[in-house]
Amino acid sequence: MTLKECYEGLGGDFDSVLLRLNREQLVEKFIYKFLDDKSFCLFKTSMENMDYAEALRAVHTLKGICQNLSFTNLYESSSITTLALKENDYQKAAESMPQLSEDYHRIINAIQMYQSSKGE
Amino acid sequence: MFGSKKDPTIRFLIRSFIILLIISIIIFSFLGIYMNRKSEKAVYEIGEIYMSGMNQQMSKNFENVIELRFNQVSSIVSVVSPENFDKEELYKELLYRAQVRGFDYLALCSADGKFESLCSQSFIPLNPAPFVEALIQGEKRAAVGVDSNGNKVVLFGVDAAYTMKNGSKSTGLIAAVPLDYISNFLSIEDKNQLMYYHIVRPDGSFVIQNPNTDLWEFFEKLQKRSVITENKASQESFLNEFGIALEHRNEYNTILDINGKTCQINGIALPYSEWYLVAVMAYGVLDDAVTVLSTRRVVITLSSCALILVILTYIFIRYFSMTHFQIRELEQTRQKALEASKAKSEFLANMSHDIRTPMNAIVGMSAIASTHIDDRDQIQNCLKKISLSSKHLLGLINDVLDMSKIESGKLTLTSEQISLKEIVEGIVSIIQPQIKLKKQTFDVHINNIFTENIWCDGVRLNQVLLNLLSNATKYTPENGAIQLSLHEEESAKGDGYIRVHIRVKDNGIGMSKDFLSKIYDSYSRADESRIHKTEGAGLGMAITKYIVDAMNGSISISSEQGKGTEFHLIFDFEKSDTSEENMELPAWNVLVVDDDELLCKMAADTLKSMGIQNAEWTLSGDKAIKLILERHKNDEDYQLILLDWKLPDINGIQVAKEIRRMFGANVPILLISAYDWSEFETEARAAGINGFVSKPLFKSTLFHSLRKYTETYTAQSQTDENLHLQGYHILIAEDNELNWEIVNELLSDLGAVLEWAEDGQICLDKFQESEEGYYDAILMDIRMPNMTGYEATKAIRQLDRSDAMSVPIIAMSADAFSDDIQRCLECGMNAHTAKPIDVPELTRLLKKYIS
Repeated sequence: MTLKECYEGLGGDFDSVLLRLNREQLVEKFIYKFLDDKSFCLFKTSMENMDYAEALRAVHTLKGICQNLSFTNLYESSSITTLALKENDYQKAAESMPQLSEDYHRIINAIQMYQSSKGE
Repeated sequence: MFGSKKDPTIRFLIRSFIILLIISIIIFSFLGIYMNRKSEKAVYEIGEIYMSGMNQQMSKNFENVIELRFNQVSSIVSVVSPENFDKEELYKELLYRAQVRGFDYLALCSADGKFESLCSQSFIPLNPAPFVEALIQGEKRAAVGVDSNGNKVVLFGVDAAYTMKNGSKSTGLIAAVPLDYISNFLSIEDKNQLMYYHIVRPDGSFVIQNPNTDLWEFFEKLQKRSVITENKASQESFLNEFGIALEHRNEYNTILDINGKTCQINGIALPYSEWYLVAVMAYGVLDDAVTVLSTRRVVITLSSCALILVILTYIFIRYFSMTHFQIRELEQTRQKALEASKAKSEFLANMSHDIRTPMNAIVGMSAIASTHIDDRDQIQNCLKKISLSSKHLLGLINDVLDMSKIESGKLTLTSEQISLKEIVEGIVSIIQPQIKLKKQTFDVHINNIFTENIWCDGVRLNQVLLNLLSNATKYTPENGAIQLSLHEEESAKGDGYIRVHIRVKDNGIGMSKDFLSKIYDSYSRADESRIHKTEGAGLGMAITKYIVDAMNGSISISSEQGKGTEFHLIFDFEKSDTSEENMELPAWNVLVVDDDELLCKMAADTLKSMGIQNAEWTLSGDKAIKLILERHKNDEDYQLILLDWKLPDINGIQVAKEIRRMFGANVPILLISAYDWSEFETEARAAGINGFVSKPLFKSTLFHSLRKYTETYTAQSQTDENLHLQGYHILIAEDNELNWEIVNELLSDLGAVLEWAEDGQICLDKFQESEEGYYDAILMDIRMPNMTGYEATKAIRQLDRSDAMSVPIIAMSADAFSDDIQRCLECGMNAHTAKPIDVPELTRLLKKYIS
């Protein structure tokens, strides 16, 4: 499994991330780091605790990471949630969560698959 | 046309003036005559009243005098009683008493009219009958009589019964005094008086006759009249009236012309007698007074009339000249308006034509393009022409809009900080293609421009220079020369200002004096056949003049037909307060090679002013090579050579090749060019040219071009140089580790030294703890825990450090909403860049704010 295939699997734009970071090694390094990123967990717990300010900050950070790493799908769903929280539309934010969660886990799965294919 | 218009007005004015003159003379004459008549009448009336009064008084006096005498006579009668005396004694007593009372004569009168004198002289009344009659009836009566010597006397008779000589009883006692008594008293004979008097009897005969003979004839007629009254033949009503008044003893007043003299006559009856007092006043004296009065009045009236006429004439003349002046002005204004309107219609006609030409091109080219939709080359060609025509059209429309703005006073200037260098460079690059097209030479001379940054409306200054330069290229034939020169001097306005002289010179067709005089008129154009194909709205110079005036500058033109034109602009610009960069270069030896001597001198001066030790110049490539060789032999090589691209003998690139061949690649060679060097860049670089310097050679242009070759600036390719951030200390405030690592990875690659602050608070602390000036920039995420990017920025800006305000802070956020960006700037950040991180953009921003 190549890095490009991995990106296709996780719903991202490989060309644009490569243009930004120049080297495949860097892309690889940062997507592995994404596995450890706590933003999504923070967002989820904050939502559960109805700490919407913290949730906004977390999802906003997640959005920023998606932009830097060109995770197009997750960027789109996190944008919707960010906007909803920004406008204090918690109902809508909650409604957007399943999509966000799905996109997130798709990325995690893809990266883990890539990692394991590399490990072999 | 002018004369015929003027005539009726003048004719009307003159006619009304004459009519006014006549009317005033008539009115004043009438007034004079009327007033004379009136005053004459008034004088006569006053005379009448006066005379009547005088007469009445006279009659009263007469009465008093007569009564006095009567009383005296009566007192004699009462004192002397007839019974106490015998006849002789009685007479003596009576005479004595009479003499005592001042009577000269005394007599007794019998009932039958016999007078018996008691004194030495006898006397009788002239008309005894009525006298005696009155006495018989017991009345007192006065009358005139005559004594034995023929002297006239006045008799006073009262009723008295004394014994007469013959023994009979008398009917009255008569005493008498000389007539002078009355005439003296009445002053009848005084000739000096205004009035004189006659006393007449009812039949018109004189009792006392005044020596004035005027009325004698009249009274004679009156006496005769009483004879002929019976015949009723009298035709003089006056005689009748006077006669009737006499008979009835009435007062009578009239004015009579006697012997050509006007007289006022007043008659009044006298008491105790049948007499009638006639007073006569000759108007001669009064007439004299009246004549003097009326003469004076006439003189005064006429002089006031003359005065009024003089004033009126003056007013008329003034008014006339004023009207005349106004009419002339009106005519001039009308003429001007006509000319302006004519110019405008001509302009409209020209404009319509001028607009139609590019419009036609656009329409035509669009049509051609659509028929050749598959022919790429053809379409490209069409589009090029369309865009040219559109630009031209836009230029025309812009001019018209500017002009209409100017005419409605809406063109305003803005004051902004501009760089003269940028303005001139911009203009040169815009005008270059036109000049190239006409194969003209173009020189830009920059002399002593030390203050490049000024306050000015850059767009309008550009417009002015572009207009002048494009006119110069337009009106200069092919192979002509155009020159733009700038120099600077101290301004009369003070230290904060500089005076900039800008000259635009060409050797084109020039302008006639006639045209020069109206060059700034709107809608005019050097519209002679020789320049018929020249395009433009003809508004350029009017707009230019307006802008220069609005900038408080001045513009002057010297031009000669066939020789060329020079425009000279002078502006006083306010210096911009941005501190000029400290421009210093090492003490090098530099060679400037250009065929333009002036440019060489100026460039050498400028270089020396920046610390260059030896700035030599030469005009040709051959000489340049000789100079370089000489220096090489002496082991004093030039550190840098500035070479013009266009040289008279061989071009700059060939010179550079020669230098490289002879002396190797050690010396940097820069090519000076006013042209876009992209065309010959490859050739130049192959020949060993290290870089390019664009004309005009401003101080800053030279500095920045040369600085690269000093020790700190090693020759690098331009792209590399753009992206390096070597040695910059940058503080990154970012709460997410992953994002931080990405930024760190990318910017560290470019040589920057990065430090991570996990949130706003840490960022603030780190900045606070650092040495002043340590961090060159801060990249700030917005949404961070503990302290947001906004708060951190505000806090940093409020710190008491020299770099608190100056350190560039650039927001880096996933939000790109305009209100977010706005808020960033409000908090004191310098710029905003959105995620994902864009290295070239970020580098550009960092460099912009760090430098």
